[in-house]
Formats: sequence, structure tokens, C-alpha cells
Amino acid sequence: MLFNSFHFIVFFVVVLALNQPLRRWPVAQKLMLLAASYYFYGQWEWHYLFLVWFSTIVDYLIGLAIPRAAQPRRLVVLSVVVNLGFLAIFKYANWLIDTVNGGAAALGSAFHLTPIDLLLPVGISFYTFQSLSYTIDVYRGVLPPRRNLLDYALAVAFFPQIEAGPIVRAREFLAELDGDQRVDFGDVKRALVLIAFGYAKKLVFADNLALIVDPVFDQPAAHGFWDCLLATYAFAFQIYCDFSGYTDIAIGCALLLGIRFPQNFDYPYAAQSIQDFWRRWHITLSRWLRDYLYIPLGGNRKGRARTYANLMLTMLLGGLWHGASWNFVIWGGLHGGYLAFERAVLQRVPGWNAGNAAAAAVRVLLTFHLACLAWIFFRAHDFAQSRAVLGHLRHPGADAFDPGAHAGTAILVGALFLAQQLGAHLRYKDRIAAGPAGVFAAAIAAAIAAIVLFAPTATAPFIYFQF
Amino acid sequence: MLRALSTLLAPLALVALLDLVFAAGVWEPLAKPSSHAGTSVRLKRALQSPAGARLDFVTLGSSRPVYGLDHALLAATAKRHGFVHADLAMPGSHWMTIGVLARWLQREHPELRGGIVALAIQDFFYPGNGSYELGIVYPFRRLADIPLMAEHVPFQLHDVGTYGTYSALFGWRADVQDYLRHPYDRRDSLDWYAANVPPERTLSGNPESQGDMCAFGLDTLAACDAVEASADPARDGLKRQCKELRGSAAGRTDLPVLAQPDALPDFLRQTRDLVREQFRSMRWPQPPVVVLMPVPRLWMRDVLAPGLHDWARAVLDPLVREGRIRLVDATDFFDDEADECGFFLDFYHQNAAGRERLMRWLMPQVEAALYGADAPGAGAGPPDAAGHRERRAAQAGIIGAP
Repeated sequence: MLFNSFHFIVFFVVVLALNQPLRRWPVAQKLMLLAASYYFYGQWEWHYLFLVWFSTIVDYLIGLAIPRAAQPRRLVVLSVVVNLGFLAIFKYANWLIDTVNGGAAALGSAFHLTPIDLLLPVGISFYTFQSLSYTIDVYRGVLPPRRNLLDYALAVAFFPQIEAGPIVRAREFLAELDGDQRVDFGDVKRALVLIAFGYAKKLVFADNLALIVDPVFDQPAAHGFWDCLLATYAFAFQIYCDFSGYTDIAIGCALLLGIRFPQNFDYPYAAQSIQDFWRRWHITLSRWLRDYLYIPLGGNRKGRARTYANLMLTMLLGGLWHGASWNFVIWGGLHGGYLAFERAVLQRVPGWNAGNAAAAAVRVLLTFHLACLAWIFFRAHDFAQSRAVLGHLRHPGADAFDPGAHAGTAILVGALFLAQQLGAHLRYKDRIAAGPAGVFAAAIAAAIAAIVLFAPTATAPFIYFQF
Repeated sequence: MLRALSTLLAPLALVALLDLVFAAGVWEPLAKPSSHAGTSVRLKRALQSPAGARLDFVTLGSSRPVYGLDHALLAATAKRHGFVHADLAMPGSHWMTIGVLARWLQREHPELRGGIVALAIQDFFYPGNGSYELGIVYPFRRLADIPLMAEHVPFQLHDVGTYGTYSALFGWRADVQDYLRHPYDRRDSLDWYAANVPPERTLSGNPESQGDMCAFGLDTLAACDAVEASADPARDGLKRQCKELRGSAAGRTDLPVLAQPDALPDFLRQTRDLVREQFRSMRWPQPPVVVLMPVPRLWMRDVLAPGLHDWARAVLDPLVREGRIRLVDATDFFDDEADECGFFLDFYHQNAAGRERLMRWLMPQVEAALYGADAPGAGAGPPDAAGHRERRAAQAGIIGAP
């Protein structure tokens, strides 16, 4: 079920209407939310509910067994193997098979593996990480095992997050479940601002930017420098509006149900370094990778070379988490390289971190363009396509700026870039939610009117569903 | 509690207010002039200009009368009789447009005496012409017209276009989006129309319609083979029409079977009832002259449901008998012409020669029907449902003349 469907809106209204009176009976409330979550997930492909259940049961039992086990590490390894095993089979098997087949063909070998005919379970990357966080935290002793299966099952499958995040750790979710789930009027206003702005980001901006981006990336050979440059900028905002829009809707829906999710985006294009970018972009993934991968690898505690290697490995795996493609590996590798370069070189340049506005602007622009360069690999279907786009970008004088064709996109991406800078300072969503009723009403009305007037007739699924 | 509720409902109230602002016509000056809605806005403005201050007779209808009737001749003839005849036919118009326009005319031009309603037998197959017709009626509709519009374009959850029946924001959204995508083109286009299409031309001008179909023929759908084989980009419009024709031909239905009184499909029953209701509710002093516009042979042979012509007549004939309308059936007007292709601009519309040929036959009848018994052609031609060709041969085809 897609957030941007009438089916979801009707579904959510029903869940919300049931949730409020059921608060007096927590078990009934959780049962209702769990049933709703499975219904929500099963609408996509009900067979894959068995996968969610299997993952839930395995990690639940491992969680219970860890405190009593003589060698708990083995149980954590089992959890990792089971969870990542499913991920490997469903997400990466065919990519590995293609890579092996390609390598064999390049060597002149007739060796050939038959690809597996499997549909990628939606949200598997998200709920796998959520589930893994549980067993690892129990093993680390920072989270007691949850004896109530209903609670744990809900932590894995809670519908606002299961399909595309945010990656809410079991620890965080269970604390919410145990805590005060009362929703006051301020929460309602904040949730409605998030939901309205989330839909506006997706339907008004992301879906319209896709109309600019798709033709260029689908046929880069038919376009020139300006088309490719503007399409790259446009994609940077398309994916931001698409994913952060989804996240806003998820956080807003969860908040209306009394569950507070962590923030997932914080104006990433206002970042002044790539490190800062990753503190603002898909924050819940960055935290997960930091806490469950980078730090266990040694983080920055084992010397400079190991730090760079750890950064690179973390980002490569972060790239691979997004999808089974060498382009995602390159995307992750670029970010790993950026992070290492920042630490090794930029931070040592005298005046680089100067506090004046001009220096900050240079840092923001540089960070934005480095992110855009990496987005080319993220958006392109394959390496050849990304090379074609980059080929055009290497020749700025190859074609002239055509105001009729390019001015609209240039103004739009410029305005969106400016909105990021202003938003980072003004925190307008918080202000609107906490502000006077008139401001709240006008902002929500503007979002609804913008959706009605500007959303394309055919809306696309959220980009991060494929991950 | 009340305060919280009002805070939560206030955004919806603001959106409703904005919808009303759009419904009041705030976007009309910016509408794309070449679009259905833009054409309609231009017509409304012409009607609000001094040129449209007085209306005695009007022509309502689709693109077929836009091209197929001589509006300059109709206006000149009316002038000769001391009347004003304005052309309000617009491409894409269907029964909803005719209904809404008729109501608008009743409100704004109570002096109106009568007019022509010109459509083709294809228009009797469905009650609506799709949600794009909403754009045509928007400049003329009132909130009270929504029930009428909903009968022609009913709300469908998965078709955003149909939301325009109830909401002006939805009605104008495609135009707003087009404006944002091509702001310079829109500005140039608005300027051009303002400078080159005065109200007089809108109300009584004929469109450019040179060219014919003789390179392809108009006898059978095989004409489309030749069209589709053409590499000439100028034929793209014809190719689109061929796509529509082939689509209609593929879904061809046998109407004589469908139109059994006890097995009439809902869409036909609805169409019949809506058409009749619309004519019965017209309060013009003179019954409208309904002209069934000529249809090329290939439509009848290969595309339209067999029996559609009889079905259209079955819908209209009771209205003729009631004295609600007068009918001129020119459906097969060009059937006996060996060079029918020479009278059509494309698969749908007549060219200037076709217009001239039809008007030579039609004008005396229309003149008699609209301007009284002393006009040439008055009193000619009794009702004749069966013998279209004989009727045409007699140069007197009006049915239901008083």
C-alpha cells in the first residue's frame, strides 16, 4: 500500500479512529496496530508476510536466549546470518550471479549461473536493519530482551516505517510503546504539518521533478550540458523531496498514533561538509551504520589509515544497502572517499572552517555539488548511463543556455536550494506547528492547494520503496 | 475543543475559499487560448463585449459545426432579417456544454429567440465527452450547474479529471500546470489572440479550413493505412485521428441488438434521457433547429456501431413530435458524392468546400425555421424519417417545421 494512494488514506483514518478508544486496553490496541500493519504490508504481496514473521520470530527467540546463552556472540552471528542471508538472497543474489556470469564471459568461459526468479520484498532492507538492531542491542546489554512477542512484532512491522523507514531501532520503538502515548493538540498540529508538507514534497516537487529528470537520464545521448546539469540538480531535489516527504508522512502518521519517530532529514543541502551531510541525510541509516558498523570496525580509534578504511568500507556497504548495482557501490565509494578526503585534506586547509558567511557559502556549495556528482551514479541505471551524463557535464560550452527550455528548471532548483538554506535557519515546520492558528491554517491550506493544482495526474511510487 | 476543531477545519475552509475564487473566474484571463477552456473563455469575453451585447439566435455545437457551418453567412442572413446570430459552437462540446451554455444564455440573454444545435450521430453514443469537456463549461457554469455536470462527468475516484465537476481547482489544474511549464509560450499566445482574434471574429467567423482528404480517401478505414504510411509530419494530426478511429472500430458494437427496449444498456438509456431532458428544458421561444452534421462514409462503414444513426433518430424523433425541436438530418449528406473526400479537411471535419456545399442546402431551411414563413425555403419539406436521400434531393430536409 502506498502512502500516496486513497487506499492508504482510508486505511489510516480507520486505524486512527480505532486507536484512540483502544488506548484503554493496550493489548487490544497493539493487536489492532499489528493486524493493521500486516494488512498494510500484505497489500503489496501477502506471501512475503511469512518472511517478516520468520525474521520476527527468529530475532525474538534469539533475543530471549542471549542473556542465558554461554556463548551469546554465536547467537548474534546467527541473527546476522539469518537476516543478512535473506537480504542477500532476495536483493543481491541475481546481482552476484550477473557479476559472476559477466566475469566468466569476459574470461571467455562458458560458465553460466541461472538467475533466480524472485521479487524483492518491499522494505526488506529497512526491517532487516531494525530487527538486527534488536539482537545486537540485547547482546550489548543496552536493551533487555522483550518477553512480549506482540511488542516486538509491532516494533518490526509497525506500518508507518516498515516499507521505507525511518530505521527506528527496536530500542527506540519499544521505549515509545512503553511510554506515554498521549497525543496533545500540539502533537496533532505538528503531525498534520508533517503529513501535509510530506505529501506536498512528494506530489508537488518530487513527481514534477521526475518529469524533468527521467527523460534526460533515460536518454542522455539525446541531451546536452545544460539538460544534464539541470537534471542532476533536479534529481538531488527529487530524491530529497521523495524520501523526506515519505519520512515526514511516516513520522506524522506515527505521531498521530502516539509513537514518536526520530528525525530522518535535517535540510541536507545546507550541509557544510559531507560529514555534516550525513548528519542531515537519512539520519537513521547514518546512525545505524555508525553504531553497528563503523564503530565496531574500530571507528577512528585505530589510527588514520584504519579510520579512512573504515569510512570507506562503511560507505561502500551503505551504498550497497540501497541496491544491488555497481552504481550504488560507486555512490557509496564516492561518499567514503569524500569523507576520507575531508578528514585528510580539507580539515587541514587553513581557514577552511572559517566562520564567515562567504566561507560557509563555499562549503555549502562544494558539499552540494559533491553530493550531486554522487547522485549521478545513484540515479543512472548503469555505469554507461552515468558516464554519458558525466560526459556531457565535462563540456560546459557544448550547448547554449536556452531560457525557454532551461530557465524554469533553473529557477525551480535555485528556489529549492535557497529554501534548504532558509529552512535550516528558520525551522519553518516547527514554527508553523507551534505558531498561531492562522499561520497553521494558511500553511496547511497552501500545501493542500499546491497538491491539488500541481501534482501530476500520474504519481510514481516512492523511490526508496525499491530499496 | 471548539477552538481545536476550528483550527483543524480552517485549512479546509481556506482551500474551499480558494476553490470559490477559481470558480469565480480568477484564472480565466490566463487560460491557454488554444485549449478547450481557453476557447470557451474567449467566447465568454466576446459575449461580454459590445459585439455580444444582443443575441437573437445562436449556434451551439461541437467542432463539426465549427468547421461545417458557415457562421459568417448565418450572421449575415440574420442581420438581413434584423437579427443577431452568434456562433457559440466550440471544439469538444457535447451535451454538457450545450446544457450549461443554454442555462447561461437563459440567464444572461433573455432576449434570445432560438438557434441551431449542431452535433453528429456519434454524440448520441455516450452521455459525456470525457472530463476535458469540464474546461469548456467552466467559464459558463454556476454552482447550481454541478448536478447537471455530474450527470455527464460523474465522479470517479481514480480519474482526477472528474474531480473538476465539483472543484474549480481540479478543473483548472491542467491549465495551471501547463502555464508553469511554458510561461513564455502562454504569454505570447495570450498576446497573439488578444491582437488578432477580435470578438466579432469569435462570434461570427469561419476557421481556416483548406485542404482535403483525396490523397487518402474517406470510403473505408483503409484510408488510415495510407495516412499511417506517410512520413510527413503534417499528417500527425490525421494519424492521431486514425488511432481514435481504429480504437472505435475495434470496440464496434452492434446497436440494433443493444438497443432492444428491454435490453438497453445503461449508457444508452442515460444518453437518451439526458438529451431529451436537455431539449425539453430549453426555454427558447422558438424550438431549436437540431442539425445532425455530415459524417464521412468510412465512419458508417467501418467505425460506428451499425444502427447508431437510427438510434440518434430514435432519441430525437419524439422531441420532433412534441414540437420541442426541429430536425435537419444531414448525416449522409455527402454519401452520394463520388468525391466525398474533397469536402473534408480530415476524418471529422468539413473543409471550406464541404461547408459551402452543405450551407447551399441547409441555409434556406435554417432561414425559414429561424426567421419566419416569409423567408426562402419556409414551409418546405415535411417530416421524413426514412428517405434522407430523397429529402436531400428535394433540397428540403427540415423535420418538424411548424
